[in-house]
Amino acid sequence: MTEKPHLDEEALAELQDVMEDEFEVLIQTYLTDSRDRIASLKEALAAGDADAVARTAHSFKGSCINIGAPRLGDLCQAAEQAGKVADLARAQALMADIEAEFAVVTGLLEGLSVR
Amino acid sequence: MPIHTRLADDGDTLVIRIEGRFDFSTHQAFRDAYEHGGSKVDRYVIDLSDTTYLDSSALGMLLLLRDHAGGDSSRISIRNCNNDVRRILAISNFEQLFAIK
Amino acid sequence: MTPSCLRILIADDSDSDRLILKTLLCRLGHRVQAARDGAEAVELFRREGADLVLLDALMPRMDGMEAAREIKSLAGDRLVPVIFLTSLSDAEDLARCLASGGDDFLTKPYNRIILDAKLKAFDRMRRMHEALAEQHALARERNRQLLDEQTTARRVFDNVAHTGCLDAANIRYHASPLSIFNGDVLFASPRPDGGLLVFLGDFTGHGLPAAMGAMPVAEIFYGMAAKGFSGADVLREINQKLKRILPIGMFCCGAMLEVDFKAGQIGIWNGGLPEGWLFRAGASPRPLPSRHLPLGILPPEQFRADLTAYPASTGDTVLLMTDGVLECQASDGTLFGEAGVRRCLRRRQQGEHPFDVVFQAMADFSHRAREADDLTLFSLDMIDRTGLALRPEPGESSALSGPSEWRCEYEVRGSTLAEFNPLPLLLHICMEVPGLRARSGEVYLLLSELYNNALEHGILRLPSDWKRSPDGFGQYYRERQRRLAEVSDHGIVFRLHHARKPWGGRLRVTCEDTGDGFDHANHPVARDSGPVGDGPRYAGRGLMLLKRLARTVTFHGRGNCVEIVYDWRLPSAPSITDGCPPPAAGGRDD
Repeated sequence: MTEKPHLDEEALAELQDVMEDEFEVLIQTYLTDSRDRIASLKEALAAGDADAVARTAHSFKGSCINIGAPRLGDLCQAAEQAGKVADLARAQALMADIEAEFAVVTGLLEGLSVR
Repeated sequence: MPIHTRLADDGDTLVIRIEGRFDFSTHQAFRDAYEHGGSKVDRYVIDLSDTTYLDSSALGMLLLLRDHAGGDSSRISIRNCNNDVRRILAISNFEQLFAIK
Repeated sequence: MTPSCLRILIADDSDSDRLILKTLLCRLGHRVQAARDGAEAVELFRREGADLVLLDALMPRMDGMEAAREIKSLAGDRLVPVIFLTSLSDAEDLARCLASGGDDFLTKPYNRIILDAKLKAFDRMRRMHEALAEQHALARERNRQLLDEQTTARRVFDNVAHTGCLDAANIRYHASPLSIFNGDVLFASPRPDGGLLVFLGDFTGHGLPAAMGAMPVAEIFYGMAAKGFSGADVLREINQKLKRILPIGMFCCGAMLEVDFKAGQIGIWNGGLPEGWLFRAGASPRPLPSRHLPLGILPPEQFRADLTAYPASTGDTVLLMTDGVLECQASDGTLFGEAGVRRCLRRRQQGEHPFDVVFQAMADFSHRAREADDLTLFSLDMIDRTGLALRPEPGESSALSGPSEWRCEYEVRGSTLAEFNPLPLLLHICMEVPGLRARSGEVYLLLSELYNNALEHGILRLPSDWKRSPDGFGQYYRERQRRLAEVSDHGIVFRLHHARKPWGGRLRVTCEDTGDGFDHANHPVARDSGPVGDGPRYAGRGLMLLKRLARTVTFHGRGNCVEIVYDWRLPSAPSITDGCPPPAAGGRDD
């Protein structure tokens, strides 16, 4: 997997353009949403529910792509694939990467929104 | 277009050739053909060499042309009919009104 | 609402994605309703409707695909485009989205320009669909109105063009069902002389215009046939009428069949119908081809209405058809055609009725033929009907006011003999007598026997025994026509006298022609003895009829003047004994 950037500057610029004053709201919404999804992913893993892992990872992937966080999106896709083939060990391993990347993205986005 | 027209004999004769089925679907095109034939035209040739079928509305159109061309004094010949077409013209005895060759 | 402003329903379980999409769409000028999952989307659509729906493919509760199906079914005939929002990259998943009723998909991240372009494209499609649906509904409504109108028109038409005597046992026909008028007409009427007149017509076109043309034809036919006009008279009248009322290019192919059971002959006129057929025992079928232009084309002065006469006796059959029979199509598109008719008639087995043979062959050839509503097949069998056959006209006969004591003289001279048939006029005068109307058949027979004998034998000097051989039969009618055209100095005078009697009335008719007469003193009828054979003038059949109907038959002068006395009685009157004919059968004898 080629390493994508943490943030897609171009997509974010366009989002800023579209959202205008609501850009900050959007970022906060995304971050809150994402925290929920990470919690859901962990729950699904704990329950050993591969389907739920795949579904949640899929949705998380969509919003990451839309917000302009492609590397996190790729990690979600990998987790989705692992869930689809019921490879829970792999999904568990990816979970750490996802959390780490989300921490980076959170920092960068919060930096953006206060700019 | 299934209807082709051309002028012959220095513009005196309008030749109208009908391709395929000569029926109600050709009504407007046939009418346009003889109405816009030109002011010099005083003779009409209906060329049916490529006409596969002719129905009673086509007979009606021929009567309309005959009326347009002067009724009893009109000069209209119908040419190159295949057997089916000729039979339909014969049943209706249209040779009494048109020169069928 | 401006054309570009759409009511858009979106559904996405991701709050941030929903926010992005909603903002994007609002910026593009649309009105947006947002749902968090499929079930909420369906509920919103049910409540508020939408012009266009954007659905995330995977959602909790109800996913996008199921929501798409629900929304499409709620939308019914309306086109509500459904676009899937997806980060799916698997082609199979994308295909599944479309299979569930989605119209397109939009991948994340959203691109403003692509989104706008897709919305515009789907809006165009939606409008086009709406316009089409509107036109379609309008066309359907118009068509329904048209069918209603045609059904009403058909009912009016059927009242005018009733089926006459088509229910007679010797007539068979297959005609269109009584729904929409298809342009074919079939009329049959008894003639006052016991014969029959049949008209089969096929108007160009169908529906209302054809029905409009057919209406006067029915009126003319039934009006004239009952009054004793000949088939030729009726044809002339129909042609003249149609020529006047039909637009150029519209006409009526038709055949007139005049049947004289007592004389054993038929007359046929065919203008534009497929060849009919005459089947005689012991002879091969004789085609009755079209020899005339259809009706409504030629002006009266150019129209030729003469019927061609053929001998036909009991057991013989006449078959007529419209071109729907020939146009029966096999599944490979070939037509039944005249060849098909000839083929099946050639293979006809003894005892098979020609009607059944043609109808069966047609049905075998084309499965559609049975339901076909644009063809008419008709047959008539010759039957023994030498007696009197006309039903007395219903009603009217009890009207007892009218002339009952009168005398009149009517002379037909010169070329008028060839052009005019005086019988309907004379019959009309007699029918004014109260009570005599019930006897119109007998009176017409008397008048027509007298007239035809005076004309054909007295003036034209046609020997009646010619009609006995098939060759002579044709010769007889050719000669009749030729000699009739040359008649100049001749004439026929009718003198009619009616007197009222206590039991009814007495009609005295004298018919005198300018011909040479004959030796009536030695004619069997004059001697009133022995079996009646053929004399030089009066054929046996004709004389027998006169003698049967009339109280007396007397010849005067050189045999060119015949006088008959006809007594008739009112139904309620006491019976009379002296030589009054037995009352004719009131019903029909077929």
